[in-house]
Formats: sequence, structure tokens, C-alpha cells
Amino acid sequence: MKTFYKKFLEKFIEGLLMLSGTVTTLTVVLIVFFLFKEGIGVFNKKPVEEGYVIAVNNKNPINKLSSEQIKNIYDQKITNWKILGAPTDSIILFRLEDVSNYYSDAEIGENFEGLPICISLLTDSLPNIIAFFPEKYIDKNFKGKQLEIDKVKLSEFLTGKEWFPTAQPAAQLGVMPLILGTLWVSLGAILLALPLGLAASVYMSEIANEKIRRIMKPLIELLAGIPSVVYGFFGLVIIVPLIQTTFDLPVGETGLAGSIILGIMALPTIITISEDAMRNTPRAMKEASLALGASKWQTIYKVVIPYSISGITAGAILGIGRAIGETMAVLMVTGNAAVIPHSILEPVRTIPATIAAELGEAPNGGLHFQALFALGCILFLITLFINLTVEFISNRNKYNKH
Amino acid sequence: MFKIESKNVDFFYGSSQALKNINIAIKPNTVTALIGPSGCGKSTYLRLFNRMNDLIDNTKITGQILIDGEDIYAKGVNVDSLRKKVGMVFQKPNPFPKTIFENVAYGLRVNGISDKKFIEERVETSIKQVALWEEVKDKLKKSAFELSGGQQQRLCIARALAIQPSVILMDEPTSALDPISTSKVEELIYELKSKYTIVIVTHNMQQAGRVSDTTAFFYMGELIEYDNTKNIFTHPKIERTQNYITGRFG
Repeated sequence: MKTFYKKFLEKFIEGLLMLSGTVTTLTVVLIVFFLFKEGIGVFNKKPVEEGYVIAVNNKNPINKLSSEQIKNIYDQKITNWKILGAPTDSIILFRLEDVSNYYSDAEIGENFEGLPICISLLTDSLPNIIAFFPEKYIDKNFKGKQLEIDKVKLSEFLTGKEWFPTAQPAAQLGVMPLILGTLWVSLGAILLALPLGLAASVYMSEIANEKIRRIMKPLIELLAGIPSVVYGFFGLVIIVPLIQTTFDLPVGETGLAGSIILGIMALPTIITISEDAMRNTPRAMKEASLALGASKWQTIYKVVIPYSISGITAGAILGIGRAIGETMAVLMVTGNAAVIPHSILEPVRTIPATIAAELGEAPNGGLHFQALFALGCILFLITLFINLTVEFISNRNKYNKH
Repeated sequence: MFKIESKNVDFFYGSSQALKNINIAIKPNTVTALIGPSGCGKSTYLRLFNRMNDLIDNTKITGQILIDGEDIYAKGVNVDSLRKKVGMVFQKPNPFPKTIFENVAYGLRVNGISDKKFIEERVETSIKQVALWEEVKDKLKKSAFELSGGQQQRLCIARALAIQPSVILMDEPTSALDPISTSKVEELIYELKSKYTIVIVTHNMQQAGRVSDTTAFFYMGELIEYDNTKNIFTHPKIERTQNYITGRFG
């Protein structure tokens, strides 16, 4: 009886453990699935707001415009149909609110009941018109021609240079500036953090005595526990003004400020991981080097660093990983201009900052909303790639040291 | 003239005394074996000769150790040059994670030698000295980890020889090796004697008897007896030495 009870208990615990493992795995898979389901949805949408149409005169030979062309037309960067290959001349823009320029209130009607006919007539009478209006105002016998709008394409999404997800009439979903902004800020961060972090970890593992190490290490680890909003605040109050005055800039919120803050945030990861790797260098290896007349410094750079290079690399890459995914601090100090950066002294906008700043105002399930999820997918893929690289490097190293 | 002299050496780890008043004089071109039970201080003593114990925090030495008549613990002694003169082979083979060639060349490079031809020649002679050349001459560019344990240990000896020390310290150099590799290393020690002064720590009584000229028996941080190996093994003057050698304790 007792054995039966014991066996039952063991099976029960086994089942419980399996259940928690399964639940965790499923959660991860579910989150990734949800992310990609929402993100990929954007490529099924047209870049024009839902429920709106764009129409031209029936004789206009153009059937199709890209979202960039539409934007340029409405921004009056393209003012002539000839540029787009049509014979007619300068473009006449028409938005719904322009209707009162052409028709009296009586014609439009109190409840806009005359509006569809007005629009229909107008598109018919003006050969150069391009009209943007809600779908519900299309007349049954509409005389104009509705333009076909392409769905958002992956290639345009990735290479597009403009990010105006709420632009009217056509949203611009080019994530290039955001990807470049993210990589730019992270690269700057790693360039600042790597030398400093490496120096600190060499000092702590090889030079500092036990007493100093025991004070320094917890302090540096504490750096990892500071909430990122505090870093952001620190950056905003101290670093941003400092950059502004030092470089005599109109605004101090720049990529450089983001890099500095992210560099500081990446330091504890880099230092703790590389310090551990260096301390794992076998004592026998160091003694062998010293016994051959090598100085302490020669031993560090000829034996300790080569021996722990994979740990150092892993630390650096995980540090970048943290920098790339970091949201709040960057949002606060980089200025968030979605333009392709040309120097570190310009405002930039990163992917996480974009998602955090815009998700609140994007209508659930809409184009903008899904575009932000697609951004999330890109971020996920970047960090996944980073983690796989770390995995690869540490595996390769296990083989080397057998 | 003695190669190594140790005068009234006391050594402390923190407040515990590891060595008590050790006096030994070692002649050049001899092999001296340090024997004794674990924890008796023989390895600690060996590591005093190239100041390896400096790496351990909170240690203290009093008394004098003279090598070629110079006090190696005097102020202003260049420890790096001392270690060039006093090579060391460790308990476990500890090649660097580098190629076979680079392992042997390491000592030359860190001592500022960059003449490629000179390094190549020296590496070759050193590897030949440990009778490893035939086994590795075709794979000098391969990782030293590809060698067997015995080969690795001989490589480590070659590495120590490459900078041409005059003293070689060996800390249980065969304890991690199989019997065949062990006998190869022992033969090697015998051959190296003509050029170097060797001090070897060993747990293996037979080994001490086979390779050494003089033997020092340590017990609890004290030097119990120091004499010709032959005398120690046949007519030890002190009973405790006799008991240890015959295996009654240890």
C-alpha cells in the first residue's frame, strides 16, 4: 500500500513538472505566433486608410499609384500628371473638405445627402483632379475612376526611407530609418561600452585584490538592477544638456546620448560575463605563462584574454542584445526623429522606442497597429540572430577546449 | 659552489607556518628529489625557487634563498628574469590553447625575441631535447591539445627548456601520466641532468630512487633528512624517514 502511494506521488510530481515545462514552452510559442500573425497582417493591407477611396477622372490613363506617389501628390511634391506619365496637366487636389469650394451648402445637403452626386460630377468635370474621400460617398453611378492601391510590400516596407504611419491619405511605412537608428545607437553603445567593460573586467579579474573586487562587483551588478526609466531620466537631465553645450547643438537629444546611456546599461552584462570568463582561465595556464618569464600584463593579453575570448564575445553580444531591445531610456534621450541618421549628433529613433511611443495611439487591428507588430517581428529576428550567434560561439569554444 | 642554497627558510600562509627553518644546498647538474606525505610543504618549497608563491595573497617568507649566490628575495630582484633562469614543469600537463610550435615559442616571444629563424631553430632543438620531434614534426601547426597526456607533458618540458634556464623545477611531473610516458619523462630527466640543475617533487618513492642524486624528506613543514639518495633509501639516519620510505606511513 505504501509503495503504491509513493509511486503515485512520484508520478504526480513528474506530471506536474512536465506540465509546467509544457506550459512555459507553449507560452513562448504562442507569443511568437501572435507577434508574427499580427505583424504579417500588415502585408495584407492597403496603405490607404480603411473605408477611403482615391479616384481620378475617367479619361485619366493612370490606374494605379503607389503610396509614395500619393503622398508626394498630396504633399505637392508632384504637381503635374505628366511626371506620372499621363497627358493631362497640373494636378488638382481634392479632399472632402474642399467640396464647399465647388458646391453650395444647399447642393451638398444638410446631412450630406447630395455629396455623392457632387463628388461624382466634380471628378467627371475636372480632368486633372485626384480625389480622396470616404467610400460611403461613392455615388451609384460614379463617373470617375477609382484608383487601385497596391498592398504593402515587404521589400518596400524594409527599404522604405519614410515612416509616417498616420499620414493622410497614404501611410508611409518605410522602416529603414528605424532599423538604421537602432543599429546606429547600438553600435555607438558597444563602441563605448566594450573597451571600458573589457578594461574593468581585466582589472577586476586579474589586478584588483579580493577586497576591492568584493566591493566593486556587487556595485557593478547593481547597475543592472537600476530601472531603465531612471537611466533615461539621468540621460535627459545630465547627458543631453552636456552634449548640447559641448557640441553646440540646437538640441542635445541625439543618437550619441542614446549610445552613452545604452553603453552604461550594457556595461554590467559585458563586465560580469567577461570577468567570469577570465576568472575561469585555469590557474595552471597563468602559472605556466608566468613561469616562462612572462610579465603579468603579457600573461593577461597572451593567455587570459585569448583563453576567455569566447566569454568576452558572448558578453559583448549579449550587451548589444540588451542595447537593441532597450526601450524607455532610449525613448527619452534620442529625440525620436524617424529619419536616416547621418551623424551621431542627430536625433534618431529606434524600433523599440517607436513601438512604445506609437502603440497607444494606433487603433487596434488597423494598418498602423499591424505595422508596429511587424516592427516587433524585425526586432525579434535581430535579437534571435544575436542569441544564436552567442550560442554558436560558446558551442564552438566548448569543442576547442574539449 | 652550490647552485641553490636555502638558509633558514620559514614560510607562512597567513598565520599558519608551512615551512620551518629549511636549510638545503644543491650542487649544480644534480637531480634533487623532494619527498614526503601530502601537505608536508614540499610543493610549497619548490615554488619558492621561482617565486611562484608570490601569486598567492597573504604569504610571507623569511630567511634566504640563493641561486648562483644571489638572494632571489632581495629587494630589486627582477622576478621575470629570475623565472627565465628557473624553469618550471607542473603537475598536470598545461599547454596553452595554441599550436604546438607556439607553445614552445611562447617563452621566447614574451622575452622579446622576434627573430623568426632563431625561434624556429630554438623550438626545434627544444623539442628534440625532449625526444618529441619525430612525433610532432609534421603537426607543429596543430593544437597542442591534440597530443596525448605524455606528449603534452614533454611539450611542457620543451617549453621550459626553450628559454634555456639553468634550473628546472618539476612539481610531480609524472603524476598524471601512464607508466610508459612516465618512464620516458624519467629518462629525459636523467639526460637533462648534464645541462641543468633539477629539483623534482614526487610522491613516487621508486621514481625518487631512480632519478635523483640527493633526496630531501619533508614532514609537517620540516626538513627531516637531506642526504644522498642512496643513503636515504638504504641507511636513513632518522627513523621517521625509514618508516615513510618503507611505506609504514604516508
